[in-house]
Amino acid sequence: MRLPRFEYIEPINFEGALDLLYIHKDNAKVLAGGTDLLVRMKKGLLKPKIIISLKALKELSYIKKDDSYIKIGARTSIADIIASDLIKKEACALFEACEKIGAVTIQHYRGTIGGNILQDNRCIHYNQSAFHRSGRQPCHKDGGKICYARDASDRCNSTCQSDGATALMALGANITLVRKGTERIIDLDNFYTTDGIMPFAMESNELLKEIVIPIQGGKSSYKRLAYRSAIDYPIVSAGVFLKSSDTSKNEIEDARIVVGAIARAPIFLAKASSFLKGKKFNDISAFKKAADISMDNASTFAVHNVGSTLEYRCAMVSEMVFQALKEAAIVTQE
Amino acid sequence: MATNISFILNGDEISYEVKDHWTLSHLLREEMGLIGTKEGCGNGECGACTVIVDKLAVNSCLYLAIEVEGKIVETIEGLASTSGALHPIQQSFVKNGGIQCGFCSPGMIMSSKALLDKNPDANHEEIKHALAGNICRCTGYVQILESVEAVKNMGGQNE
Ligand SMILES: Cc1cc2nc3c(=O)[nH]c(=O)nc-3n(C[C@H](O)[C@H](O)[C@H](O)COP(=O)(O)OP(=O)(O)OC[C@H]3O[C@@H](n4cnc5c(N)ncnc54)[C@H](O)[C@@H]3O)c2cc1C
Ligand code: SF4
Ligand code: FES
Ligand code: FES
Repeated sequence: MRLPRFEYIEPINFEGALDLLYIHKDNAKVLAGGTDLLVRMKKGLLKPKIIISLKALKELSYIKKDDSYIKIGARTSIADIIASDLIKKEACALFEACEKIGAVTIQHYRGTIGGNILQDNRCIHYNQSAFHRSGRQPCHKDGGKICYARDASDRCNSTCQSDGATALMALGANITLVRKGTERIIDLDNFYTTDGIMPFAMESNELLKEIVIPIQGGKSSYKRLAYRSAIDYPIVSAGVFLKSSDTSKNEIEDARIVVGAIARAPIFLAKASSFLKGKKFNDISAFKKAADISMDNASTFAVHNVGSTLEYRCAMVSEMVFQALKEAAIVTQE
Repeated sequence: MATNISFILNGDEISYEVKDHWTLSHLLREEMGLIGTKEGCGNGECGACTVIVDKLAVNSCLYLAIEVEGKIVETIEGLASTSGALHPIQQSFVKNGGIQCGFCSPGMIMSSKALLDKNPDANHEEIKHALAGNICRCTGYVQILESVEAVKNMGGQNE
């Protein structure tokens, strides 16, 4: 399968990449590992005139501890994250998420964490060959006016299937976006729009530089469901974070529950999360209750467009959240 | 646009003029005639196109040819010795029924080689993990895993 034609440019440093994005804006696309971008280009879903490769930007590949933060360069490979003891210890949900991304050969060596959170939303009606799509009217995301996933929807409901994004949101991460001359830091919670066509608040001249995870002394966990354990994207997932109180080790002081692969973005479930505050780490029935609240709240956003049935995926929200909470509680108490 | 790139292919220094939009699988198969590397899905889903770049197994269908500049590339064509003797992994696949139609075999063998070069004593789980990105529609995988396991017992396999 061939790629459409484009001009390939390989800036030698970060500044050079920013300059190129400043000049070419919408005509250019950034290439990290290419395991999301090149697939979409082959399917004719986008045809950038210029590809700006991050290949030479080794300075964007690092995992380091800086005070009470973990900083990860955008171009760090999924394999490097899996191999990091720091991530395993302080941000276990991210380790567990990365371990499950695709399969070793493609995603782990080639795929990057930056590309993982910036991969486009997906939908079984949209992520198809040009030939398949030519047989019917284009949908919203394809430049048309209908949605095949939800009847009479006036907008696109494509799903964010990034494993990394769900785990990072549970960990309370933020990201640094840079454009020529300025830099901004944004919480992942606020990074997502509710628009399936352009799922994140990012300008075409911006580059993702870094992902920052606060070390809060809690424990995190990530669980996902996919058809096969390798190659396939998640059809539902959950990332959770639990922190014990300083005064009473067996009491939950802070909780964050995030559900992925169900809506246009990973969703932070505020009600289910706050329900757990003050509960005990060995209170299994509280975890069950929080998991059920998560399911109820997340189900309203769910759309039938990444395979399996909606009923099954919604039911499994509860199961994924429950398993993740149990695991985070067990490691907290160890 | 076309650019002249240099890289090492199966031990030989190569210099080739590549178009910006060519993938590595396109360069190998359509331009250089090295059709041992297969292209199944073209989208990273099947692993038929697996080659080794700088010791890591990668999918050549999602690798831009221009990005192999300065790198060391190994394909299935480079495995047999100059006298024509098959590489121990290839022999093992033949002997243990790891090949039926053969379409997945080059990819399976390259993924196995990348693993065994790094970890000659890889256990069953490690082998399964390393081959998880390679799909086979014939064998049911059991014979493939057995073939890779059997290489360990053949001794002195890495060359
Ligand atoms: C068969 C298959 C299975 C997969 N399974 C999974 C899975 O289970 N879970 C999962 O989460 N993903 C999966 N993926 C998607 C993808 O492989 C991973 O998300 C990978 O981490 C993407 O990283 P990349 O570097 O290859 O991204 P690229 O394709 O290089 O980039 C993705 C997007 O991000 C942009 N981008 C990348 N880096 C930057 C930057 N620094 N600044 C600005 N923009 C940038 C690119 O322009 C592009 O739009 C799968 C892909 C395939 C082909
Ligand atoms: S959710 Fe609807 S508009 Fe969006 S990609 Fe799917 S079919 Fe198209
Ligand atoms: S052809 Fe490359 S993964 Fe299928
Ligand atoms: S032998 Fe036919 S696909 Fe594996």
